[in-house]
Amino acid sequence: MGQPELAGDERPPRVWALRGARDSLSTPGFVLFGSFVGFGAMTHDFGWPLWAAALSTALVWAAPAQLVLAGSLASGAGIVAAALAVTVSAVRLLPMVIAFLPVLRTPRTRLTARLLAAHYVAVTAWFEGQRRTQMMPRSARMPYFLGLANGLVAGSTIATAVGHAAAGALPTPLSVALLGLTPIYFLLSLERGAGSVGERLAILIGLFMAPVVGVLTPSLDLLLTGVVGGTAAFVIERALRRRRETP
Amino acid sequence: MTHYDGWFMLAAILAAFAANEVWRVVGVALSARLHEDSAVFSWVKMVATALVAGLVAKLVLNPTGGLALAPLWLRLGSVAFGVAAYALGRRSLALGVAAAAATLMVGTAVIAPGAPP
Repeated sequence: MGQPELAGDERPPRVWALRGARDSLSTPGFVLFGSFVGFGAMTHDFGWPLWAAALSTALVWAAPAQLVLAGSLASGAGIVAAALAVTVSAVRLLPMVIAFLPVLRTPRTRLTARLLAAHYVAVTAWFEGQRRTQMMPRSARMPYFLGLANGLVAGSTIATAVGHAAAGALPTPLSVALLGLTPIYFLLSLERGAGSVGERLAILIGLFMAPVVGVLTPSLDLLLTGVVGGTAAFVIERALRRRRETP
Repeated sequence: MTHYDGWFMLAAILAAFAANEVWRVVGVALSARLHEDSAVFSWVKMVATALVAGLVAKLVLNPTGGLALAPLWLRLGSVAFGVAAYALGRRSLALGVAAAAATLMVGTAVIAPGAPP
């Protein structure tokens, strides 16, 4: 930040990876860690053991998927039904990976390196990775991103364990506030990441639709909200665009 | 509160990992050929966005666990404060999240200072 980056091409990848890891300790990183403290506290309330909470962060590395898993299991769903709900929530990773990999890779990047980079794609890592690698030499981007993402995973895993361990011992107002971090963090990240009118519409429709659908079909509510609400947002955006284009 | 069997928990997390990771792998396979600005992808992204937004609404309206100690009006109020701080603070995530958390903390401290968790 603010330093001359011109000599970067000659610097070894390790230097970039370390710089990325250091940059994980930034404001977006701390917001993420705070929300994982909240998630850890939440899994405690759901009856998860501590190792399971920490493992889910280290391995799954996608807070929405982890929440969907916890919510599904808590409402009595089996593993297959829970995995199905998780996979629906994870579809959003697909366009993120597709949009980000061309930024990271060089002609020499191997498939294993691309798979590894894709594994770390999640809202904060993706957003910060894109923002910070834009100005870097191409050869620096992959090591920088892997350093950044590993720093975020390590911090988040520790935060999850801390949240789980502290859940029972915290004063009530603090634990309530920690548990409240996740929904507001998701909501604001969605807005922050929304690139179109349609995505903002999808946020609004999803917010208002889920409680209504939840009354009708409690088990399939998120899936239905996503497909019906997302399609509605898509159709409305197309209609608006067509109207603007035809005078 | 439920307590899960360790093996069940491990299987559930591994299943969730696979179910989540599949889209990242597919993304790698498709990233060479498909465009982010195609209609199919904007639709996919909106479906995913609506789903996560629905999850947010569920977490706020019907929380399981400790968040339920805050009454509905306080939970909604904290989200409203968070969104307002985010908007006024030039889309600052940190500001929005901090405002919502502070609202919940102060509100709960005033209403139920001694309630057991």
